[in-house]
Amino acid sequence: MQGASTKGVLSHLNLLEVQARSRKVQPQQQQQQQSRVKELKVKVEELKQQRDLMRAEIQTHQNLQKLRKSMDKRCAHEEDEEMDEDSENSQLLRLMARHTQLKDFLHAHHLIGGYDIVKTRQGLCVSLATAYEGTYLDAYNLEIDLKPTLRIRRHNIPPFIPLNSLAEQSNMKTDIRAFLDTLSQHLNAFASRKQQLKLVKELFHESVEVMESNVLCSILVLMFTLPIEKNTAVLCTLNYTDHTKYLPTRVLFECEDKELPDSPQWKKNCSLLMETPVHKALITMKKMGNIA
Amino acid sequence: MEEKMSEENSEEVKVLEAQIQRLQAEVAMLQQQQQDNHKDMTIHFRDKCKDALLYICGKRHNGRKEEVLSKLKEEVDELEEDLQRQTKMNGISLNSCTTKTLQSSGSKLVQQLCVSGHCSELVFQVEFQLSENKESHERMISGLNVVMDFSDLQNFSSFLSGVEESKDLLLFFRTLRAFSDRCDDRRRTFQHFQEKYPSVVSLPGGCRSEVMTLHHPELPGCVLLVHWSVEVSREGDVTPKIDLLTKIPERARQMFPSLAAGGAAEAFQSLLRILGPEAAVESIIRAVSLSQDT
Repeated sequence: MQGASTKGVLSHLNLLEVQARSRKVQPQQQQQQQSRVKELKVKVEELKQQRDLMRAEIQTHQNLQKLRKSMDKRCAHEEDEEMDEDSENSQLLRLMARHTQLKDFLHAHHLIGGYDIVKTRQGLCVSLATAYEGTYLDAYNLEIDLKPTLRIRRHNIPPFIPLNSLAEQSNMKTDIRAFLDTLSQHLNAFASRKQQLKLVKELFHESVEVMESNVLCSILVLMFTLPIEKNTAVLCTLNYTDHTKYLPTRVLFECEDKELPDSPQWKKNCSLLMETPVHKALITMKKMGNIA
Repeated sequence: MEEKMSEENSEEVKVLEAQIQRLQAEVAMLQQQQQDNHKDMTIHFRDKCKDALLYICGKRHNGRKEEVLSKLKEEVDELEEDLQRQTKMNGISLNSCTTKTLQSSGSKLVQQLCVSGHCSELVFQVEFQLSENKESHERMISGLNVVMDFSDLQNFSSFLSGVEESKDLLLFFRTLRAFSDRCDDRRRTFQHFQEKYPSVVSLPGGCRSEVMTLHHPELPGCVLLVHWSVEVSREGDVTPKIDLLTKIPERARQMFPSLAAGGAAEAFQSLLRILGPEAAVESIIRAVSLSQDT
């Protein structure tokens, strides 16, 4: 009799214990679930904001696109007489469209390699771009004072470009554009010759040896080996005496075999080197089997 | 009791998770739409323009509309000034510039630009692709296509095809400017002489043409032609070439055999070398008009 009631009490106690334990666990679970709900609600708000922002941006972009298209058609900046859209932001939108158009124009000016010009306290800073075969190379800068007289204050133009004599020759003080045009010619020709030399070294580092070159890249001496008679070398001197050009003014071949430079093949090579940039001429000469 | 609450919670969680998935899908779709718009016409929002964009999209309300507007106007005015300065220095006026973004991956940006404008009277449209390496900032041009007004094309055609082949955008604009300057020299000189010697000088093709004719006021049929062309070589060298041509009727030649008509052209070339174009032309005009008054 007593055994049965003890069992009953014990099992009842057990049950109560389990219940109490599970009651402790449940609030934790509930808390976890509640904080998860909070997290998710926050995330939903964030996503809603992002979506609304994107929708507004897309709408604005489309409005600006329309404005830009009509502005481009008008060709010149005329006064906006018509306020066709009565939306409260139309004035703001018009300004925004003009802002983006101006930025695009300035970027285009920068790309077409005229003279990037920035106003400084005393004058201007002009940046001249150089390029070869579509690749933009170094840009050179000049700081020019306008007062009291027009003079170059600072620059990063290499010393072998005769800046001062060019300034004198083209009357920099009265016609700054003519000066910049000649300077740009010199710089671009120099950049082209330099790039050609770089390409020769890259493409022909095994077969053609660069014996001599100078900083202005106005003299280039190359050594070719002939494909069959490996012992015969041809020394080729290229003189670029016109510093505004990227092609040589004189090509000379020297070889132990005195007859070689006068052979028809090498006369052709001579005119090839006079008319085509050196790295391209060498590619052709290699294809024709003239050089190794 | 607690079980019921936890059941409701898990219901809510499911609803919220489903909502999140829908929103994420919407945002992804909007992102795709943005990218497509960008490809069509790339518009960059910078500086005060970006502030204005954020104002319109409702993200920033601390600035009042007037403030946003006036700051933007200030910046736009500054940019207008910059553009004027740049236009004057480059000698090139731009009418339109559109950008399309073709590719914008991790390190590479490829855009298609179409720029149109004019240099003095010469109208151009230039289209090209610009590739930029985002890390090294190396820029490259490809696919260059240049379109110009047909009437200007004659001197230019071999130069234009050379420039498109070598993708030399910078050379095109340098040469365009030089060519335009030389043509302007010619126009100014022709106009000046027409005003100064109206009885002798005429411009049958207008002041922008290559030909100026000189009629002797008393010898009808005797015409001297000044032919001033501006040549552009394939490499972009711009050279003015001035020639003097004579048209003297047979009868005049018979009457005045000493009219060394052939010698006039050579004499003119030496005058050109010594005096330069304007003075040489003026001396011919004076010789033709045979008058002492200026």
